[in-house]
Amino acid sequence: MPDVARLIGPQDRRARSHPAVLLLAPAVAVLLLMTVAPAIYLLWSSLFRFNLLASEAGVFVGLGNYVDILGSTDFVRHFGITLLFVVTSVSLELAIGLVVAVLLARKGPDLRIAAGLLILPMAITPVVAALVWRALLNPNYGWIDYYLQTLGLIEEPVAWLSAPVTAWIALLALDAWQWMPFVALILLAGLQGLPTEPLEAAAVDGAGRLSMFRFITLPMMRPFIVIAVLLRTVDAFKTFGTVQVLTNGGPGDATEIVNLSIYRVALQNFQVGTAAAMGILFLVVVTIVIQQLLRVMARNTDVLED
Amino acid sequence: MTRPKTAPQRGAPWRTKAGSLLGAALLIVAACAPTGVGPATAPASVAPQSSSGSAPSEAAKPASLNMLYAAGEADVDAIKLAIPDFEAATGIKINLDSQPYTALQQKVFAELAAKSSFYDIIVIDTPWMPALTKQIEPLSGYIGDPAVSDAKQLAIDDFIPKVFYDTAVYNRDQSQLEYSGSPDKVDVAAIKSAGFEIYGLPIQANALTLTYRKDLFESPAEQAAFKAKYGRDLAVPTTWDEFTDVASFFTRPSDRLYGTTLMAGTGDWATDDFKTLLAGFGGNGKMVDGEFKRVFNSPEGIAALTYYSDLINKHKVTPPGVTSFSWDEAGSTYASGLTAMSMNYHNAKLNEGLAGATAYATIPAGVGVGPHFGTWMLSVNSFSANKPWAYRAIEWFTSSAVQTKMLATQLHPSRRSVYEAAKTDPAVASFGNYYDILGKSLAVGVGRPRLTNYGEVDQIIWTAVNNVATGAATPADALRDADAKVLEALKKVPYPAN
Amino acid sequence: MTGRRPVDIGVAVLARVAIWLIILASLLPIYWMVTTSFKNPDAALQIPPNVIGFSPTLDNYVQLLGGATTARGFGRLLLNSIIVAVASTGLALALGLPAAYALARVRFRGKRQLAMWILSTTMFPPIVAVIPVFLIAGNAGFIDTYPVLIVPYTAFNLPLVIWMLRSAIRQIPAEIEESALVDGSSRLGILRTMVLPLAAPGIAAAAVLSVFLSWNEFLFALTLTRSAARTAPVGINEFTTMFGTEWGNLSAGATLVVAPILVLALLLGRRLVSGLTFGAVK
Repeated sequence: MPDVARLIGPQDRRARSHPAVLLLAPAVAVLLLMTVAPAIYLLWSSLFRFNLLASEAGVFVGLGNYVDILGSTDFVRHFGITLLFVVTSVSLELAIGLVVAVLLARKGPDLRIAAGLLILPMAITPVVAALVWRALLNPNYGWIDYYLQTLGLIEEPVAWLSAPVTAWIALLALDAWQWMPFVALILLAGLQGLPTEPLEAAAVDGAGRLSMFRFITLPMMRPFIVIAVLLRTVDAFKTFGTVQVLTNGGPGDATEIVNLSIYRVALQNFQVGTAAAMGILFLVVVTIVIQQLLRVMARNTDVLED
Repeated sequence: MTRPKTAPQRGAPWRTKAGSLLGAALLIVAACAPTGVGPATAPASVAPQSSSGSAPSEAAKPASLNMLYAAGEADVDAIKLAIPDFEAATGIKINLDSQPYTALQQKVFAELAAKSSFYDIIVIDTPWMPALTKQIEPLSGYIGDPAVSDAKQLAIDDFIPKVFYDTAVYNRDQSQLEYSGSPDKVDVAAIKSAGFEIYGLPIQANALTLTYRKDLFESPAEQAAFKAKYGRDLAVPTTWDEFTDVASFFTRPSDRLYGTTLMAGTGDWATDDFKTLLAGFGGNGKMVDGEFKRVFNSPEGIAALTYYSDLINKHKVTPPGVTSFSWDEAGSTYASGLTAMSMNYHNAKLNEGLAGATAYATIPAGVGVGPHFGTWMLSVNSFSANKPWAYRAIEWFTSSAVQTKMLATQLHPSRRSVYEAAKTDPAVASFGNYYDILGKSLAVGVGRPRLTNYGEVDQIIWTAVNNVATGAATPADALRDADAKVLEALKKVPYPAN
Repeated sequence: MTGRRPVDIGVAVLARVAIWLIILASLLPIYWMVTTSFKNPDAALQIPPNVIGFSPTLDNYVQLLGGATTARGFGRLLLNSIIVAVASTGLALALGLPAAYALARVRFRGKRQLAMWILSTTMFPPIVAVIPVFLIAGNAGFIDTYPVLIVPYTAFNLPLVIWMLRSAIRQIPAEIEESALVDGSSRLGILRTMVLPLAAPGIAAAAVLSVFLSWNEFLFALTLTRSAARTAPVGINEFTTMFGTEWGNLSAGATLVVAPILVLALLLGRRLVSGLTFGAVK
């Protein structure tokens, strides 16, 4: 294509000498701006005790904010609640997502439509989704309790959001409803891309369906599972609006995830130093969790493979 | 003081100082440049803060004023109703933005923390004010100035003094201090000489009131059945003991009818329920007194919380799910005809399709009485470039004539004359006896403690209340735990608490 | 495959029934939302539920779009949402495509670390980022403008966009480009004339996902806008008040917000799926 080469002309030579830099620089700049710059600000702020609304200057407290936070049993418990939420929601979504993917991997025009419909919950604004669920779960006029009663599955209305266990069920159900499709569709793409030869060979050898799935399909699916789990884990750590609307941390503080605490400290009280320290600690925990996850899950799978 | 040349503009957001891409570029520069946006220095102010009363009349009349207001919580419909009149009277356009409670609080605090001049007029809820005395413009200078204030329109004596003091009167540097002035008459000079300032004019006074199904209470069949069971006449309860009986009487789950709603879910509303009962059982409904003493972990507090829990768990007079109810769900539950009574901050009504009638009463009393109350006020942003005009506007919006007009959209007025007018105003006939009851409730209401970190204290209390309501903790344990946490929270400010 | 045994047919039928039950159940909240928007507001909380036999009304939409219920007409908020979502997606693609191409094709030192870092930026919790962004934007006078949302949304979406495009580009046989390189074409030229058309399905998938995320964002939109650039999700939030949730307006607003996304999702469903698999597809 000599024409194209001439058109690009001088730019071309520069692009050749540092093609990667030129191609990557704009994207990296935006990412630096929105992640590294705030991170530096937070790191710096976390060493001060100050309130954005107070006219006094902030007081340098060194690691004081961190000491306070780590010394607070509530905050440590809320960290635990966050981890529990991430682990249970991602596991649930992976389990159901795998089943759904297997069901969808068969052939048929109706299944193509089904896969399209499956995406829809992902498209709902999370805060709206939580409001709708709150209405559906209402024991007095919600559809869920009404139909569970009609079907004879429960005798009395269940006050879902009033007890820790049921509130957690509701929260996990909402999260799974919205994000299981994401997992299922990644796994579906994996299933459909798998080579059929190993399965056919095993079938000839007389292997059962389940053992074929367990020993052939599942291992081949590993990279897809890793990606689904990774992306969902990162996202689950960011969950905020849905929990705020559905439970607001209740009952008691049974569903008080760290993001809710940070929100209250940062954006309702504007205790920026404390909030920044909470944010930094949170970032550290997320990074460690993700790295461990990568180390364990991605042992034989290189998601960055070149 | 002159107006900054680049007054914030409404309109197409693209048309800022720079174009869109330039905007992105500037953001990058702003982030990288060592502009001193360190934590020790808050962002530079957009408009310098002038001392109040400095010849405000000289400022040029703006084409419009920007107002940040609450959604339903402070009755935004009332403001919308009045805006055309204001624009006709002054030629100044009001650009109104509104948000519901949590989002509004975040917005108000964010705007003030950034020292933004954008909103000239901001609605402030009582619990926020202690943290904002440095950001909200003191008004005593304007009030005395004939150039900006019309004494007849302001009629400051007409504000209910208790509501006025609780809402608008603060000491700038010690925002926890409460002004105890004349209960009959608001006196600006006395407020000033006591070292206090006026930070806004009250617009919407909310208090907890009792809503009940008039049709049920007046039904001869119900009356006879009640008499047969309790040996006395069925009447709207005036004591908490009666409240339990009446609520039990009306609780018929198989007919989808329960005694009462409560607001026991995790949120500010549960704290308000608790402090109302705390006062009713003889405690100090403020929960934390002027000397930062925590006064809720007391026999009265335990009795109040035990009573609350018993309604839900022992007498079971509340609908299922009450321990996750907010004011929103309490309202829609009563509206759907599910309860005979309800306690809320507004005139709860039945949905249109339902048969039945509603009336209102004051919250029952116990050894003491003190329904929760909290008032919204219109305040002037101290960073605004149009402060004198913003003041004129809030004086106009809170005036007796305008508040009376706003009654039609159920404004909860802050002036005595408006409560008088409500008695005969045909426009409010549909509200029944609500305004009468609201006025009476305000007279005995108990406000919130003045703490810059009330939000934190609030959350500790509502968590404790919710834990007791769901049966996860006993009243004594929950309050002891909350007491320790509130102490920590107060020390952190730091307040001299021990 | 081998001939169909009765067991196979039984399993196939069961699988069909199961998947459709799951789909129908997951559509229930959406059904509730959409039907509520066509009901009288009081009917939203009716028991027994009025699932099908209600007389539909457009009152909620008339009220919503007429601006009687929000500080500004809802149409304006939708327009803002469209502008912000489209602009941030366009920007993310414009920045992401060259970056993805470099990561997929160009060899350079530190590439692996850079790729890892780009992916790791998705971990940054928005709730933590919002305060510094708010302060900086406030200082620069950018609150309530489109760029103040477009730039953060672009940054949120970039890692995913780069990752999806990188895998899309890697599926294009490298030989075609290599011969063009030998012929003297530039990297940018190749990107424009060869990679762009071949990676189109992947680009579409990345665009849709990016639109999804920007379209539904709430926290930044609430914090960084006032009224001129306010987006639809923030507007919908206005309908929850002390007096009870205004289900009529809320569900009508939510339906309007969801409708374009649903159309996109239905149109692009399958491609979105394959795009999400990133580098795992060989």
